[in-house]
Amino acid sequence: MKGSFPLVPSVFVYATVWGGLARQAGLSLDEIALMCLIVTAGASQFVAVPMIAAGFPPLAVIATTYVVNIRHYLMAATLAPAFRCFPRRWLALIAHGVNDESFALAVARRNPPDPWFFLGSVVAVYGSFIGGALVGSVLGGLVSDPTRYGLDFAFPAVFLALVAVQLKRRGDWAVAGGAALLALWIAWRFLGNWHIVVAGLVASGLGALIMRPEDA
Amino acid sequence: MRPSVVVTIVGMAAATYLTRAPLLLALSDRPLRPRLRLWLRLIPLAVLPALAIPMVLLRPDGNPALTPANPRLWGAIVVLALTAARANLLLSVAAGVVVVALLRHFGF
Repeated sequence: MKGSFPLVPSVFVYATVWGGLARQAGLSLDEIALMCLIVTAGASQFVAVPMIAAGFPPLAVIATTYVVNIRHYLMAATLAPAFRCFPRRWLALIAHGVNDESFALAVARRNPPDPWFFLGSVVAVYGSFIGGALVGSVLGGLVSDPTRYGLDFAFPAVFLALVAVQLKRRGDWAVAGGAALLALWIAWRFLGNWHIVVAGLVASGLGALIMRPEDA
Repeated sequence: MRPSVVVTIVGMAAATYLTRAPLLLALSDRPLRPRLRLWLRLIPLAVLPALAIPMVLLRPDGNPALTPANPRLWGAIVVLALTAARANLLLSVAAGVVVVALLRHFGF
């Protein structure tokens, strides 16, 4: 767990921002706590809050959450060999702990990753995420007019910053730019809110077919 | 708790668990095929702009707001420029929020 302490402040602040925004978007404290406990996936929670606030149907939010979190398959498959000696019943619970930060840390430290190091990191990351979200949701209840402070813009800002740090190859830029244009066109021309899932799957699928597999 | 929000959250939890559990429980030694790995890596790169750019460039009524008088456009440019300059994620976001708040304050 100690090896993950450097992550704690940034996860805590990120979660505080999320909790504050979720509260201002009209989620109640118990809805926020429930989401943090049973979903516990930061990026998709950022994605879900403005959709819930805008009154999107549950199925649209759930489908978008699934697509945003598809990347977990990659992490789970990479972690699996390290957990061979664990009872399967435990694995059903440990699976809930798969997250970007612990995965990145555990794989950077040793490959194949040390399962106990990974589990310690999950405790540190989830503890600071849930704690930060609760602090943020209490603080968020104190700000009365979020648009005045530009806080509604925090959602697209987080998404843009998250994608910008991941763009490495030329093909990545094409996928991100293509998805943006396609989503813009779908959202403008068609009513409803499937532009995220459709543009996300089409642009990434085309990219995966056209780019060289070595670019993974 | 509102029933529809609880349904949404429980559904989100189930959908997320479905992305985490199956391959961990499969305990397979075989790595994923390279093209599948590539696709899984590209999905967030496509989903995040698909989500963010319409929020920046479309008005709530769905019409484009592609003018310099759109504060969100300038906020987005600031966020992308700072992130490209390797600034901290939260710092970039905060700067974008401040720019949008200031532009709105001065009547954009």
